[in-house]
Amino acid sequence: MKREHRLRYIIKEGIQDTFFIWKDELKNVFKDSGVMIFFFLVPFVYPLLYAFIYNNEVVHNAKMVVVDQSDSYLSREYIRKVDATADVKVVAVCADMEEAKRMLDEKKAYGILYFPSEFSKNIHKGKQATVSLYCDMSALLFYKAFLLATTEVSLEIGKELRAQNNPSSTIEQEKITINPIPYESVALFNSQNGFASFLVPAILILVIQQTLILGIGMLGGTAREKNRFHCLVPISRHFNGTLRIVFGKSLTYILLYVVVCIWALAVVPKLFSLPQVGEPWTVMLFILPYLFASIFLSMTLSGFMTSRESPMLVFVFTSVILLFISGVSWPKEAIPPFWKAVGYLFPSTPGIQGFIRINTAGATLNEVAHEYHTLWIQAGVYFITACMIYRYQIMRSRKLIIKQYRYMKMQRMMHR
Amino acid sequence: MTLKQSLHSIWNVAKREIHRLTSKPIYFFCMLIAPVLCVVFFLSLMQEGLPTNLPIAVVDMDGSATSRNLIRQLDAFEQTEVVYKTATFDDARREMQKGNVYGIFYIPKDFAVEATTGKQPTLSFYTNGTYLIAASLLFRDMKTMSVLAGASVGLQTGLAKGYTTDQIMGQLQPVVVDTHALGNPWLNYSVYLNNTILPGVLQLMIFLVTVFSIGTELKYSTARQWLQTGGNSFTLSLLGKLLPQTVIFTVIALLCCSALYGFNAFPLNSGWMPMIVALFLLVIASQAVGVFMIGVLPTLRLGLSFASLFGMIAFSIVGFSFPVLGMDPILQALSTLFPLRHYFLIYVDQALNGRELFYSWTEYAWLIGFLILPFLIGKHLKNALLYFKYIP
Repeated sequence: MKREHRLRYIIKEGIQDTFFIWKDELKNVFKDSGVMIFFFLVPFVYPLLYAFIYNNEVVHNAKMVVVDQSDSYLSREYIRKVDATADVKVVAVCADMEEAKRMLDEKKAYGILYFPSEFSKNIHKGKQATVSLYCDMSALLFYKAFLLATTEVSLEIGKELRAQNNPSSTIEQEKITINPIPYESVALFNSQNGFASFLVPAILILVIQQTLILGIGMLGGTAREKNRFHCLVPISRHFNGTLRIVFGKSLTYILLYVVVCIWALAVVPKLFSLPQVGEPWTVMLFILPYLFASIFLSMTLSGFMTSRESPMLVFVFTSVILLFISGVSWPKEAIPPFWKAVGYLFPSTPGIQGFIRINTAGATLNEVAHEYHTLWIQAGVYFITACMIYRYQIMRSRKLIIKQYRYMKMQRMMHR
Repeated sequence: MTLKQSLHSIWNVAKREIHRLTSKPIYFFCMLIAPVLCVVFFLSLMQEGLPTNLPIAVVDMDGSATSRNLIRQLDAFEQTEVVYKTATFDDARREMQKGNVYGIFYIPKDFAVEATTGKQPTLSFYTNGTYLIAASLLFRDMKTMSVLAGASVGLQTGLAKGYTTDQIMGQLQPVVVDTHALGNPWLNYSVYLNNTILPGVLQLMIFLVTVFSIGTELKYSTARQWLQTGGNSFTLSLLGKLLPQTVIFTVIALLCCSALYGFNAFPLNSGWMPMIVALFLLVIASQAVGVFMIGVLPTLRLGLSFASLFGMIAFSIVGFSFPVLGMDPILQALSTLFPLRHYFLIYVDQALNGRELFYSWTEYAWLIGFLILPFLIGKHLKNALLYFKYIP
C-alpha cells in the first residue's frame, strides 16, 4: 500500500492542511481592508450607532396644543394634568381649531386636544363629557404618548369627580357604583415598552449574520478575481480536499466572531443598559449553532460571488426584509405562509426569535427548542451545501489546470 | 464647445452607459429586481394593515359562567385570539417565553361573585414588551375588555337602582377621549411603514448603483475612455453616465408610487403631483449623494461600504419608526444629511396630511440642495478618474 493511501496519513495531512488553510484565511482577512470593515468595523460601530439612535427608548414631551372652548375650571385642570405627564407637553392654548391646525402644519405641535363648549356643563349635569384628540400620524409614538396621557388624565379626573359627586353615600357604597372592576396592566420583560429594548437586540443578531455574508462573500469574490481561472479554490497542494477547506476556513470565521459576539451581545447591551436577563450559558449555547449556520450559509453564497463587490450590491438591502420576516416587529402570526417559508431559509429568523426571548424574556433552551433545532438543521444543511460548492470548485479548478496543461503541451509540440 | 456638441457628447456617454448597464446582470438585479422584490414583499406582508388574531393566554382562576363569557368576548375582538387557557400563571408565562402568546389576561378567583357583591375584584393583563407592535395592539384590546367588563357590571347594578344609562355612564366614565388619527384613521401599519421603507430601499439601491457604476470605471481602468467619450469634459461625462440611471430609477419610483397610492389606495391628500415631484427629487438627490460618496472615497469597495452603511442607517435615522425629535440633538442634525429624511417630511405634509405646499417648500429645496454635492467633490473625483491607480 502506498503511503498516501493510508488512513492515518490522510487524517494527519488533513489536519495539517486544515490549519494551513486556517492560517492562510486569517491572513486573507487581515490583509483585506474591505473585509476588515465588515468583520470588525461594522459589528463594532453599528450596534453603538443603533443603540444611540434608539437610546431614549420612549418619547418624552410630545408637543400638543389645546383648543379650550369650555374655558372652565375642569378643562384647565385637565390641561394642567396632561402637561404634567412625562409623555406630553402642552405648548400653546389656541383660540380655535383653525389656529391649532396651523400649529400642526408648521410642525410646532403634533396633536390637538379640543374641549367642546359643553364640556364642563355636561360633567356637572352628570352626563358623559367628551374631549377630542387629533393626532398627526407621522409618528406612531406621538400618537401613543397622547393617547396614554389623555386616557390616564380622564380616568384620574373621573375618579376625583365621582368622589365629589357622591358626598352623601358612604365611601364603600360609592366605590361600588364607581369602579366595580378595577384593572391593572403590566408590561412584561420590557417594562417601559422602550424602543431600544425592543429593536436593538434583533438588530445585533442580524448584524452578525449580514456582516458574515458580506465579509465571506467578499473573500470569495476576491479569491476568484485573483485566481487565474476565476476559481474559488487556489491551486495548491494544501487545498486538496473539501473538508479541510470548509473546516479550515470556518475555523477562522468562528474564532473572529467569538470576539464580535462578545462585543455585540454582551458588552453593547451593558453599555446602553438594554435588557439582559438571559443566562450567559444559554445565550452561548444558542449562539453557537447560529454562528455555524450563518458561516456555512455565507460560504455557500460566496460560491456564487464572482467579484469582490457583488455581495454588497446583492445582500445589503436584504437586511430590511430579514428584519421584518423574523417576526420581531410584524408578528409572525401575521406573516403570509409563503414569506414565512422564505424566512426559514435564513438563520436570522430563528436566531432573532430565540435570542430576544432568551435575552429579553429570560427563556431557557427548553422554551426556544423549536428555534434551537431549526438552527442546527440549518447549520447541517448549509454545511453540506458549502461542501458541495467547494467540491465543485476543486473539480473545476482541476479540470481547468488539466486543460491548460494540455493546451501548453500542444503548443510546445507545434513549435517544435 | 457649442450646445450641440455638448448634447452630442452626453448622448454618446449615455449610449455607452446603456450598453454597460445591459451587459452586466448585477445592474438588472439592483435597479429592477431588488426594488420590485421589496415592493412586493412589504405590501404583501402588511396587506391586512393591522395584524389580526394575535394569540393570548387566559388564566381563569374563577371558572364561572361570567368569566367564560368574558373570555368569549375577548376572543371576539379582531386583534385578539385566545389560544391557551390555564389555571396557573406560570404556565401562561412559559407560553409567552415560548413565543406562543403575546399577552396574558388574568381573571382572579371568585371574580363573578365578588364583582356582583361589590368587592371590586381586579382584572390584570400582561403584555410582552419584547414584541412592541403585538404588545400595543393587545394592550388596547385587553384594556377595552376590562373597561367594558366594569361598565357592564356598573350598568347592571345601576339599572337595578333605577338610574338611566346616561346617568350611569356619566358616573362610570365621566370623561371619554374621542380620538382622531389624522390621515390614517385605521392606524394601518402598511401606510405607516411602507410609505417610507420603500423609498428608503430605492435610495439605498441608488447609492449603491451610482457608486458601483463610477467605481468600476476606476477599478477596470476604463475611466479615461469614459471621459474621452464625453469629449474630455467631466461634467458632460458624468451627466451622460447618470442620465440613463435617472430614467430607470424614476420609472421604478413611479412604479412604487402607483403601487402605494394607486393599487393600495393609501392616503394621498395632496394629489399625485407633489409626491411624484418629491420622488423624482429623491432619485436625483440620492444620485448626487452617491457621486459624493465615490468622490470622497474613490475606491470601489470603500465607496460601496460607505453607501451600504449610510443607506442602511437611513431607515432608522429618518424617524418614521422612532421620531427624530426623540433622538439626541446630534442625531437630529445628522438626519438632515439623508435625502430620505426630507422625502419623509414631504410625504407627511403632502400625501398624509394634504397641507399647503408652502409648508414643505424647504424640504423640496433641501432635496434640490443635494445636487450641489457633486460640484463640491467634482475636482477630486476627476483627478481620481484620471490619475488614480486601482489598488485591489
